[in-house]
Amino acid sequence: MNTEAGPDPSWLQTIVIGRNPRRTLIRTVVLAVACFAIARFILLPIRVQGGSMIPTYQDNRVNFINRLAYLFSPPKRGDVVAIRLAGPSIMFLKRIVGLPGESVAFHEGHVYINGQMLDEPYLRLKSDWEDPPRELGPDEYYCVGDNRSMPQADHTEGKAKRERILGKILL
Amino acid sequence: MKGRVSQIILLGILVLLGIWLWRTLFPNPARVIRKRMLELAQAASFSGKEGLIAKAFNAEQFGSFFDNDVEAIVDVPGRSQQTFSGRAELVQAALGVRTVVGSVAIEFLDINVTVSPDKQSAEVNLTGKARVAGERDFFVQELKFTLKKIGREWLIKKVETVKTLSQNWRPTPGLAAA
Repeated sequence: MNTEAGPDPSWLQTIVIGRNPRRTLIRTVVLAVACFAIARFILLPIRVQGGSMIPTYQDNRVNFINRLAYLFSPPKRGDVVAIRLAGPSIMFLKRIVGLPGESVAFHEGHVYINGQMLDEPYLRLKSDWEDPPRELGPDEYYCVGDNRSMPQADHTEGKAKRERILGKILL
Repeated sequence: MKGRVSQIILLGILVLLGIWLWRTLFPNPARVIRKRMLELAQAASFSGKEGLIAKAFNAEQFGSFFDNDVEAIVDVPGRSQQTFSGRAELVQAALGVRTVVGSVAIEFLDINVTVSPDKQSAEVNLTGKARVAGERDFFVQELKFTLKKIGREWLIKKVETVKTLSQNWRPTPGLAAA
């Protein structure tokens, strides 16, 4: 009596490696190389950690950084960007509020650019931050998180050189 | 034909062996420094299980990475800037941290090494990541190390924290607070 009840090997082979193993191998290699290249040079996968971008970006969410966003145009006000430290392993996720050459100040939690209050519809939380007006250099951007309800001393913010901005958040 | 293939394989193996031997006998300074920084991260990390003698020994071990006249200027999150002058002061501080904090796991990421043309000094820029026992989030800090080759060893002469998002400003003339 035959007691074998395993799946048909040819059926299993078709599912796992396809009808033509050589072609499947080539496809797998091409796909792996493409994924690696995209993840490294085009869309950098990130995990948001910490609460400085609340409520726009919640803690522990996965997102992507578009590294080609500023290939042909400079960063814009309102863009949420990734700012590298020594390299791309860990980055700050911040919003650009001040552009090169502008004066940036905080008064009662509002950002003032060249003396004019900036309209920031993305802000939901109240803030009491105060900072006197200060001028940005020719390649400097003022970057700050959206969660300005936290004490200013605990919030990492300030000017970032253009070379440190790696790209714009995708989602 | 078969003999020629074997010869080529043998030649390849010999070339690889030669490269390995050359790298072992004359290591690239950047590679040596990178390895040293990883060892430093390991020496700076500690668990809460250390006894008093182990604490003192490990703090001393941590100090062996630094020159006698080392200068460390660090911005500790939530505190004012701290300056340590000399290895003894640094070891003392390391011992103090080991006594107060339960455990710390330090990692050095994105280690960029620039060796001077005379290969006697180097600068290292890296991202330090620290997980402290009892804290939900980890701490990150960009650091700059200046190293000097003393004898056969690379010792740290200076450590500075780097402000990734700088707060050094030029005041705007003629503009008052809005």
